[in-house]
Amino acid sequence: MTDLAIAAEHVSKRFWLHRERRTGLKERVVRGRAPTAQEFWALRDASFSIERGSTFGLLGQNGSGKSTTLKVLAGIYRPTSGRVVVNGRVSALLELGAGFHGELTGRENIRLNGAILGLSGRQIDAAMDSIVDFAGIGEFIDSPVKIYSSGMFVRLGFAVAVSLDPEILMVDEVIAVGDEEFQRKCFDHLFELRKRGTTVVLVTHSLGLIRDLCDQAAWLDNGEVRELGAARDVADRYIASVNEREAHAQHVGGGTGPSDETPMRLGSGEVRITSLEYLDGEGNHSPVLLAGAACTIRMHFEARSPISRAVFGLGFHHESGANVAGPNSGRVGPYSLERGSGYVDFAVDELPFQQGSFQVSTAIVERGHTYDYANREFDLHVRGQGDEEPGLTRMPGTWRPPVSVPSSEAGTPAAREALHVEQ
Amino acid sequence: MSGPGVTTTARPRSSIWTSRSLIWNFAQRELKSRFKGTTLGWAWSLVVPLATLFTYSLVFAVIFRVAPPDFGNGLPGFFPVWLFSGLIPWAFFLITVNTAIPTLLANGPILQKVYFPSYAPIVGSAGAILAQTLIEFGILALALIAFGNVGLTWLLFPAWLVIYATFVTSVAISLAIMNVYFRDLVHLVNVGLQLLFFLTPIIYLTASVPAEWYGVPLRAIVSLNPIALFVESLRALSYDLQIPLLSTWVGILAWTLGAVAISAFVYRRWGLDIGESV
Repeated sequence: MTDLAIAAEHVSKRFWLHRERRTGLKERVVRGRAPTAQEFWALRDASFSIERGSTFGLLGQNGSGKSTTLKVLAGIYRPTSGRVVVNGRVSALLELGAGFHGELTGRENIRLNGAILGLSGRQIDAAMDSIVDFAGIGEFIDSPVKIYSSGMFVRLGFAVAVSLDPEILMVDEVIAVGDEEFQRKCFDHLFELRKRGTTVVLVTHSLGLIRDLCDQAAWLDNGEVRELGAARDVADRYIASVNEREAHAQHVGGGTGPSDETPMRLGSGEVRITSLEYLDGEGNHSPVLLAGAACTIRMHFEARSPISRAVFGLGFHHESGANVAGPNSGRVGPYSLERGSGYVDFAVDELPFQQGSFQVSTAIVERGHTYDYANREFDLHVRGQGDEEPGLTRMPGTWRPPVSVPSSEAGTPAAREALHVEQ
Repeated sequence: MSGPGVTTTARPRSSIWTSRSLIWNFAQRELKSRFKGTTLGWAWSLVVPLATLFTYSLVFAVIFRVAPPDFGNGLPGFFPVWLFSGLIPWAFFLITVNTAIPTLLANGPILQKVYFPSYAPIVGSAGAILAQTLIEFGILALALIAFGNVGLTWLLFPAWLVIYATFVTSVAISLAIMNVYFRDLVHLVNVGLQLLFFLTPIIYLTASVPAEWYGVPLRAIVSLNPIALFVESLRALSYDLQIPLLSTWVGILAWTLGAVAISAFVYRRWGLDIGESV
C-alpha cells in the first residue's frame, strides 16, 4: 500500500440556504424555525486519495465545490458525512494576512499569526529573522500593520505562512494576487516545496499550473468528482468539456450574426457585411477558436450594386480594450464584387492570440470611401489549449539551446575578448 | 452539524493545553490593542475602575448612607475598600462577558480561513482581563494592608481565583458561541447583566434585602446567584478575614461545574462549526 497523506472517503458537505438568515430570537419565536431553509450539497460523495509527496490539483468551474473541498481537508469545515484522514502537519493558505490585527506591529502580528497556524512560541522565535527577511518590508516591521500598503500586507502574510514548513500545504489560487514579482515568488516557492517532498493540494483555474505542477488532479462538477487521475489527462478532458459547453451556449445564443438594424453601422451601404463565421483548421464551423491553431475567418457580405475596388478589413479588440490586430486585404489588391451575396476568407495559419474574448470590427472601403463599417459588432472567443503565456498575443519564435562558456575561461580577458568579437 | 459516523482527522487534536501558545497570543493581542493609541495607555485600566469606585462611594456612602461592616480586625469599616472588594470580581465578570460575546464574529475572517478551536480567542481575552484584574486585586491588598486588615484567610485567595476564573471563562465561551447563532443574545445579555448587578450584594449587604417581597423570596434569590456567592466568599476571606462557609464553597463549585459542563456541551454542539456560521 502506498503512503497516503490524505484520504477522503465518500465525503459530503451540506449547507442550509436560508432565504433570509433567521438568527434573531424574535423571528424564531414569531415565525418558528425557518421553513424556507433549503439544503444545498456543496460536495457529494467525493472520494480520492493523495500520496505523500505528490501535488494534487482541484479544478472545476466556479461553484463546483473546489474551495469547499479544500476547507474540509483543512479542517475548517466538518464533512456532513464521510471520512477524511490527514496524515501530517497541515498549513492552509486560503488567504494571506487573514488574522492580522491593524493596531499591532508586523512583528507582533507574526507571533499571533504563527500561533494561529499552529507554531509554538519557540518555533516562531527561531523563524522570526527569516520571516522578516523574506517579507522584505524593512523598518515597517515595527509599525502597526494598518499603515501597510496592501502589497506589504500580503508579503508579510506569505512570509509567515511559508515559514511553517508544513508537511502538507493547501493553497487556494486566490493567494496569487499582488505584483508580478510577488506572484513569481509564490510559485517559485511552491515548486521548491514540491521538490523538497511537501504534499501540495492546489485549487486553481489555470490549466497550465495543473499540467506543470500537479501529478494528480480531480475535476469537480457540481460538488461531484467527475474525473480523477493523472493531471494532464484530467486537464485535457476538462478543457474539452468547457469548449463543448461554450460552443453549445454560442449556438443557443444565435451565433455571431449582426442585427440588421444596428445603428452603429457606418458607410454608404452599397455593400454590407452580413455575418462573420469562424472555421477551424479542418474548415468546420466553430463558435470558438483555439489559440495557436489554424483557422479561417469568413466574412459574409451582400452587395446591392457591383463594386469595383473593395478592400476588406478586420479589427480585433481585446476585452482589456487593446486593439490587438487589424489585417486588411489592401496589400493583395482590391477585389471587384458582383451584385448579390458572397463571402471572403481570411485564413490564419496559427492564431496568434492568447485565450480571451475579443470584439471584432469589420470594414469594406475603397480608397478613402467607406461602404460599410461595423464597429465592434462581432464577438470572438479564443480558447487556450493549456499552454498559455502571459500577454495578449503569442510570440512566434524558436528557442535555441544555451551556449555556455566555462567560467575559468570566461574570466580571462582573452576569453571575454573572444566573446565580444563573436558577438 | 455533523451526523453520526463522521470521522475527520483533518483537525489536529486540541485541548486548552495544546492551544496554549495560541491562547497566550490572543491574550497578548487583547492587552496590546486595548489601549494602543491612547495617551494614558495602560493607566486607563486603573483609572476606569478607580473612577467607578469614587462615584459609587460618593453616591452610596454619602447620599444613601450605606454603612459598611467592620473590618475583620475589628476596625470600623471603610466603605470604598469594602465596595472595591465586591466591585473587582463583578467588573471581571462584566468585562470578560462583554468582550467575549462579539469576539467570534469579529474573528470571522480568520475562522473561515484557518482552523483553530473557537474557544481560544475567548480564553485568551479572559486571561488578558484577568491580568488587569490582578492589578486591581493588588491595589485592594495594599488598601487592606494599610488598615492592618491581613489574615491567614488570604491564603485561600488563589483557590478562590482559580474557581472564579474558570466559572467566568466558561460562561463567556457559552455566550460567545451562542451569539453566533442567536444574534439577539448580545442585547439580551446587556439587560441581564444590569439586573444581575443589582441582584448581587455589591453596593448593599445581603442582610438588608427583605426576605420576602410580594411573595418573592428575594433574599434567597440574591444569595443563591452565582456572582453573589463569589462576591460574598471573596469578601469573607479578604475583608472579614473569615473562612467562607462550607455551603458557600459547595455553591460556587456547583455553579462552576455546571458552567463548565454547559460550555463543553455548547462547544461540542455548536462551537465546532463556527467557520461556516460567522
